[in-house]
Amino acid sequence: MTTIERASTARPQWRTRFGGREGLIGWTILAVLILIAILAPVLAPHSSEAIDSTRIFAKPDLSHPFGSDDLGRDVFSRVLYAYRASLSIAIGSVLLAMIVGVPIGVFAGYVGGWADLVLMRAVDLLLAFPALLLAISLIAILGPGNAVALLAIAIIYVPIIARVVRSSVLVVRGQPYVLGARTRGASHWAIVRGHVLPNSAGPVLVQASVLMAFAIVIEAALSFLGLGSQPPTPELGLMLAEGNNYLTTAPWVEIFPGLAIAVTVLAFNLIGDGLRRSFDPHGVTR
Amino acid sequence: MAEPTGGRPLLQVEGVVKRFPIRRGVLRGAGAVHAVEGVDLAVGRGEVVSLVGESGSGKSTLGKCITGMIRPTAGRIHFDGVEVSGSSRGARGNFRRRVQPVFQDPRSSLDPRWAIERTIREPLDAFRIGNKAARAARVRELMDLVGLPAHLSQRKPSELSGGQQQRVAIAAALALEPDLLVADEPVSALDVSVQAQILNLLADLRQRLGLALLFIAHDLSVIEHISDRVAVMYLGRIVESGTVSEVFTDPRHPYTRALIDAIPRPDPTQRMSRTRLIGEIPSPVNPPSGCRFHPRCPVAIGVCSQDDPQQTTFSSQHRAACHVAAAQTASLSELPHERAWL
Repeated sequence: MTTIERASTARPQWRTRFGGREGLIGWTILAVLILIAILAPVLAPHSSEAIDSTRIFAKPDLSHPFGSDDLGRDVFSRVLYAYRASLSIAIGSVLLAMIVGVPIGVFAGYVGGWADLVLMRAVDLLLAFPALLLAISLIAILGPGNAVALLAIAIIYVPIIARVVRSSVLVVRGQPYVLGARTRGASHWAIVRGHVLPNSAGPVLVQASVLMAFAIVIEAALSFLGLGSQPPTPELGLMLAEGNNYLTTAPWVEIFPGLAIAVTVLAFNLIGDGLRRSFDPHGVTR
Repeated sequence: MAEPTGGRPLLQVEGVVKRFPIRRGVLRGAGAVHAVEGVDLAVGRGEVVSLVGESGSGKSTLGKCITGMIRPTAGRIHFDGVEVSGSSRGARGNFRRRVQPVFQDPRSSLDPRWAIERTIREPLDAFRIGNKAARAARVRELMDLVGLPAHLSQRKPSELSGGQQQRVAIAAALALEPDLLVADEPVSALDVSVQAQILNLLADLRQRLGLALLFIAHDLSVIEHISDRVAVMYLGRIVESGTVSEVFTDPRHPYTRALIDAIPRPDPTQRMSRTRLIGEIPSPVNPPSGCRFHPRCPVAIGVCSQDDPQQTTFSSQHRAACHVAAAQTASLSELPHERAWL
């Protein structure tokens, strides 16, 4: 047997692990945004809720880089604080949906048969509801607020994640290395943990990153309808909704929260692209 | 029918049937695929038995029944005297250790995310054999046994050649010290030059470990040199079986003859006096009546479409299920075979 020389890849290991340039940029943006959310009280030049009647619709200047809103509050400080609610909802809702959806998908896909049939019909039932209608019904029952918005978005996501997990588990389950592991005595639990989960994680994580981006949009929509965060809590979707009224007179009230949402969505999408790449099992990095 | 030379066989397959029910839509019961229809086969200790046949002959299904990946619909499989088809969990667990499969495509039979060292170690971990150091030593030993250099141990399958990947798969199959390897077309996915290396490795392992091998192939040329006995399958049945020399030099069943004629011989002086098989293997959902080969058989006689031929014994090992072969003691080689088949 010929021995192949140790393959020398030009790009460093850590970079490939984060999914190339796109992934790296995405993770960097997300890390910065999370830091902003955590350090908002330190970073914000002004209070997020202090009303200043002298600065109503004041234009952006050096001490108020994003200007002021209809109540004279500093938009920059409010955007910094808003990341707290927006990012927690985006990440939290997807994590919660994965905690519920991944086991459902793995069980349905791996066990198959009746378990698959029953679980997938239940998931279809959930999927048949229009997403916003589902969220609005839940909010009607539990009342508006960040926690309820998070829960509502998580419920919308459970069937999506369960389906993605199931389909990739189905593919992995039929692979000869899973059949071989069985004949070599590996338990079902060891196979699920060692082979099925790692090999079906790629599509799920890519989906999760896209869903996180979309969660910000859903949450903005809920807030826009007055069903998400309640004033005066700074939250990106809510700020977008409020700023909409003054788009012609004071565009900065609308534009900066909008840009903040766009940057977050971009970060999640870049991470998704990077994950797609790093989870290619054959390690083909284009 | 096919019996090993002396002693109680390691593996004894009796009347194994495997049917896959066809389900159309919500309603079931639209017939069944008759993949394996009553096969008898035996493999002795340290013996290499080859199972050949074209696609759809049921050879892979039989292999899966033997490795316990699927359960036969009927029939019995004895391993070392213990019935393992549908027996208790404990017996099957032990049997699993002693019969290991090797798959056709090493790319898909190795987890792409696992370093090969972990793949080879998996069975040791599963059965909790030895401590960590002992397992690592055993992995090194196995890699050495199959001719893999130690520095490859942390490579992923995608970083290895096809031949190296198949060596990894064989090493993993050998980890539990099995008595029998069921190799389903282990070289079909490999380059021709690498095929010989893997075949030599299997022959070498048999010598060194006393391993029995059930070698499943669709190509007679591959098995000629490493097998002791050959069983030819057609549409779920074994149509001919015997020692390699018997089957290759004196084929009794017209199907076997066609397979042997299909082996490419690099000899330009040899006249093209080949019998060719025409047409496809019939659907295993509705197998032909009588002898399953009669619609494609060049020597078929009236009785062939009526009666299912029984196995006729030609020597202690050599058997074939053919009305024509049974009727004449002469070898089929004396029959004219210029005529196109079918």
